[in-house]
Amino acid sequence: MATDSPVTYPCSLTLDVPFPDARLANAALQALRVDKELSALVQRELSAVDSTLKVQYKATTNRMLRVAVNSFFDSLALVLEVMEQLDVDVIEAKKAQEKTG
Amino acid sequence: MMTLTKKHRRIALGCEGSANKLGIGIILHEGTSLTTSTSTVLSNIRHTFVSPPGTGFLPKDTAAHHRAFFVRIALQALASANIPISEIDCICYTKGPGMGAPLTSVAIAARTLSLLWNKPLVGVNHCVGHIEMGRAITGASHPVVLYVSGGNTQVIAYAEQRYRIFGEALDIAVGNCLDRFARTLEISNDPAPGYNIEQLAKQGGRVLLDLPYAVKGMDCSFSGILTRADELAAHMKNGGKGPDGEPFTPADLCFSLQETIFAMLVEITERAMAHVGSSQVLIVGGVGCNERLQEMMGAMAAERGGSVYATDERFCIDNGIMIAHAGLLAYETGFETPVEESTCTQRFRTDEVLVKWRK
Repeated sequence: MATDSPVTYPCSLTLDVPFPDARLANAALQALRVDKELSALVQRELSAVDSTLKVQYKATTNRMLRVAVNSFFDSLALVLEVMEQLDVDVIEAKKAQEKTG
Repeated sequence: MMTLTKKHRRIALGCEGSANKLGIGIILHEGTSLTTSTSTVLSNIRHTFVSPPGTGFLPKDTAAHHRAFFVRIALQALASANIPISEIDCICYTKGPGMGAPLTSVAIAARTLSLLWNKPLVGVNHCVGHIEMGRAITGASHPVVLYVSGGNTQVIAYAEQRYRIFGEALDIAVGNCLDRFARTLEISNDPAPGYNIEQLAKQGGRVLLDLPYAVKGMDCSFSGILTRADELAAHMKNGGKGPDGEPFTPADLCFSLQETIFAMLVEITERAMAHVGSSQVLIVGGVGCNERLQEMMGAMAAERGGSVYATDERFCIDNGIMIAHAGLLAYETGFETPVEESTCTQRFRTDEVLVKWRK
């Protein structure tokens, strides 16, 4: 191809994911931003502002956007479940409960 | 970075999910020198994603399985080990090789644990995990390693801080050949297709069907054998007869396939043993559970005045404890994976790892 027109990403989605505190929002950010997007047709930006995880997805088509965002939600759900069940304070509370129970 | 002499007890949690097994294990290393350190398995929990007969496990479904079971398995591993989080030194995870989405799903959870618990991460090569666990469990000192699973087939020998690949499958892994043939015969995948082929093969033996024997120097090839086995299976379903004019059964097919592919593995292993001057064979990986393979390898090793070392299904099938063990060995030499570098990779050669914990 002689000249490539720059790729545009007309389809976009913005998510603000609230976390209980900034520590958790930052942990989610660090865990989720490591893996690159699988497709060049999708662009992603992640950042943490106070206790909110800000997610910006842009894609060339709605289908690509849906696929990418669905996958992101699967990963986010895992991060949340790990935080809910395996954080230090949760484990310690469980152990204390088992001792007294 | 901590040095060995400062801490007598080191504990690692390891997470594995490169194929359809999700495994989390916790290991304890005690001792203050590389040569006198002992390893203890504190917990080793695993859950396998089994797909229906006639199908294989696809990356998306496998990753979904790992995500769904991670917290449950982690809690079981912690409860079984019965140690406080404060005693864990590092979180180890499988960096590769393996299937992309499953690897990443486990890495995301491992990263989260590392950040929540404030513990360093250690990325581990899956093959090195198998080798180090095999060494630890069997005590084999200088073996040629045959690593055989659904995803890998390699003949390995240690030299100068690398696990060198002497020979390997050129196309598909031997376990992949078995798994795909199980689909052809619609054999159950529970607990594992290879296990069910092994049981069915025990009912065979009346006739050895003709399958191509594909050893190429130090390497071997399995896709042609699979094609031929599939052809024979179709022939059998159409009422075809075997070489002796009699009908043959799935058991005959399983028997013939095993005899052929295992003989090939024995040949390339023996070739490596001759090169390296070793009489010991250590078999690791899921296919290493196969008793017929162990028997055939044992006969060859005995002829050379040596022996075969193998582990049981707790350790030869993919598991988290091998990742914890190999990861902790690396961590003890000062190795760590910063979270921003904790990616996964589908291709990760065994000899890419610098084995700093050995001379």
